[in-house]
Amino acid sequence: MTSAPRALQSADGGPLDLAAVEGALSADFTVVTGPARAVRQARLDTFDRRLDEAGLTLEHRSSASGEELVLVRPDSAPPLLSPATDLRSPAFAHDLPDGALRAVVSPVIGIRALMAVTDEKRRVRRVEVHDQDGKTVARLDLDEPVAATSTQPAEVRVLSLRGYDDAARRTTRLLSGIGLRPPEAEDRGPADVPSPEDMAPAAAATVLLAGALNGYLGAMRENLPGLLDDVDTEFLHDFRVAVRRTRSTLKLGRPALPEVMRSRWEPAFKWLGDLTTPMRDLDVYQLDLPTMSGWLVAAAPGDLEPFVAHLQRRRSAERRTLVRGLRSARYAALVADWERALTDLADTSSDQTPDQSSEVLTAGALAGTSISRAFRRVARDGGAVTADSPSEDLHSLRKRCKELRYALEVFTPVIDKPARKSAVGDLKALQDVLGRFQDSEVQGAALREFAEEMVSDGTSAGAVLAMGELVGRLDAEQDRARQDFESAFARFVGPATRVRMQRLGGAG
Amino acid sequence: MRVLAAYNIKGGVGKTSTAVNLAYLSAREGRRTLLWDLDPQAAATFLFRVRPRVKGGGHALVTRKRPIEAALKATDFDNLDLLPADFSYRNMDLELDDTKKRTRRLGQLLEGVAHEYDIVFLDCPPSVSLVSENVLHASHTLLVPLIPATLSLRTFDQLTRFVADSDGPRPEVVAFFSMADRRKRLHREVIDSIPRDGGRVAETVVPALSIIEQMAERRAPVPAFAPTSAAAKCYEALWAEVRPA
Repeated sequence: MTSAPRALQSADGGPLDLAAVEGALSADFTVVTGPARAVRQARLDTFDRRLDEAGLTLEHRSSASGEELVLVRPDSAPPLLSPATDLRSPAFAHDLPDGALRAVVSPVIGIRALMAVTDEKRRVRRVEVHDQDGKTVARLDLDEPVAATSTQPAEVRVLSLRGYDDAARRTTRLLSGIGLRPPEAEDRGPADVPSPEDMAPAAAATVLLAGALNGYLGAMRENLPGLLDDVDTEFLHDFRVAVRRTRSTLKLGRPALPEVMRSRWEPAFKWLGDLTTPMRDLDVYQLDLPTMSGWLVAAAPGDLEPFVAHLQRRRSAERRTLVRGLRSARYAALVADWERALTDLADTSSDQTPDQSSEVLTAGALAGTSISRAFRRVARDGGAVTADSPSEDLHSLRKRCKELRYALEVFTPVIDKPARKSAVGDLKALQDVLGRFQDSEVQGAALREFAEEMVSDGTSAGAVLAMGELVGRLDAEQDRARQDFESAFARFVGPATRVRMQRLGGAG
Repeated sequence: MRVLAAYNIKGGVGKTSTAVNLAYLSAREGRRTLLWDLDPQAAATFLFRVRPRVKGGGHALVTRKRPIEAALKATDFDNLDLLPADFSYRNMDLELDDTKKRTRRLGQLLEGVAHEYDIVFLDCPPSVSLVSENVLHASHTLLVPLIPATLSLRTFDQLTRFVADSDGPRPEVVAFFSMADRRKRLHREVIDSIPRDGGRVAETVVPALSIIEQMAERRAPVPAFAPTSAAAKCYEALWAEVRPA
């Protein structure tokens, strides 16, 4: 097996001189150069670059001799290779060939699909480096772009073979003698772009709000193509998160934002959120089905097949509605007008500086009042919940918690970072309990609705009985969540959280 | 990680050819594969053009003075590594005899690389010894090449009893006929008459073919240098029969 390859390039990133490479190595080794192969190299990753984040590089290489997947790992672990036939993009973890490569990739990408993030034709020549016994002790891949417009320069990759590291080092030294060098570290973009962490609490609140809202608009735009193509469920999820954050930011920013934001844009984004909800609910069902199947005791997982088919039909119908909505003139106008509104907001913000006018609300002041109000509401509503409170009270409290969470996120650039991190941790524990409570109720209610639809369609009793088992399990889970609520809430409003909230301006 | 051992009490029956060719086929499928050449004659090591030398010898491995990982060598084939033979392996029985849990040490050593490999092949020396007992305990499957001759059947019988008498979890025994010549009446009769109650007998019969002998000259597995040959097809069929799920 080979270790992670070491790449070398000519000083100007130009073409490679094969004869010079062979000549340099012939001093110590025998080299056998293979024919040039046209290789299509597609780098695969999820939309949010989960493999890259984990330091993994996955390539799908196709040539006349076949297709293979190559996974390069961050440490000196050998790359994992796997034959791949008919792998189509997008591909999920279960579409990858069974084996070690899939075992590494699967937990990293989770439910996301792999897409080709770059796709290029290259000309690759393999050079085998042999010792005097004819044993291959190192390999080189001379990899050159076919298109002159390629942004990826030609490079030699030195592949070290296990147990023959000395030979690979010697090979690299010999190649450096003809001017080949490791490539410069990748330029990750200009350093002078201000990050949100740079913002001073004294900056105008509208500057912070405009920046945050622009970011959410960017996330909506980025996720739209994958959402429309139904690449994986996370495009819709991330799109909805951006919409929800936009709505919360508009609400939190009311004291600083112009009235039009409330009168026009809050309802506009409510429409957009509502448009995406039915499809997301069905996605959640599909994602949870494997877990739910595992709950069955009396019924067999196969009994749920009519339910699965019913879900798929419903999802197809909801998807058509969603796609129509997102391709409508109304959506196009919303995005175009929203972008103009944000540009206007940014222009107005740049004219406002706290030094020039004491009337301007600062980001720090808005953060303090928003977090304070949101925390007070959570404490008040949560304190009023008793064992007999209706479910709606807990649902309403969950919304209050989300408002506090968004306030802690939106104002991150101007609040105390360690206190914020701990406060989010405290809040998350409470949100998890409330989430379990509401998800169980909503899923149980939807299952009953689906069952009624299926019965009227003439579905077999087996499927409905199996769904009944799931409803029973969800009811029990809801009861458990209600029991857990009291202690989770008591922990959240305890002295430790109050101290943290005070530091964030929120315990008033 | 699944461990398959090419094993027979007799020598010259095709153990090394089996281990080398099946290990190659396993790696070709994308399974991370290791072949440990336990035979001091180092035939498998020679076939992969690797020098038959392990720093510190069998003593360092068995006593864990050197980690097994340090001795591993990549072969010329993707996904296939070799733990080479060393002439000192001739004393491996003595080395094992000095260790605690002397019949399980090889299995313990392999556990150290279990995260790196999906399949391990053991190419065993022909004998009944402490090394053999270790192989029994370390393996999930014993692949037993048999030459179709009366004495081979007797040896197979001895081997199945040896496995049955061993303590602890026992490997599955899968015999198959190797170096068979169907033109010979005796070979045909033995193949047809082998009792199938002592262990599983694979359907695949590997004939005596000169291309298998050429492995020593070409220093490569048959499916690598003659992928369309009858011998390569035989090993593919055998692998399909014994391949772990």
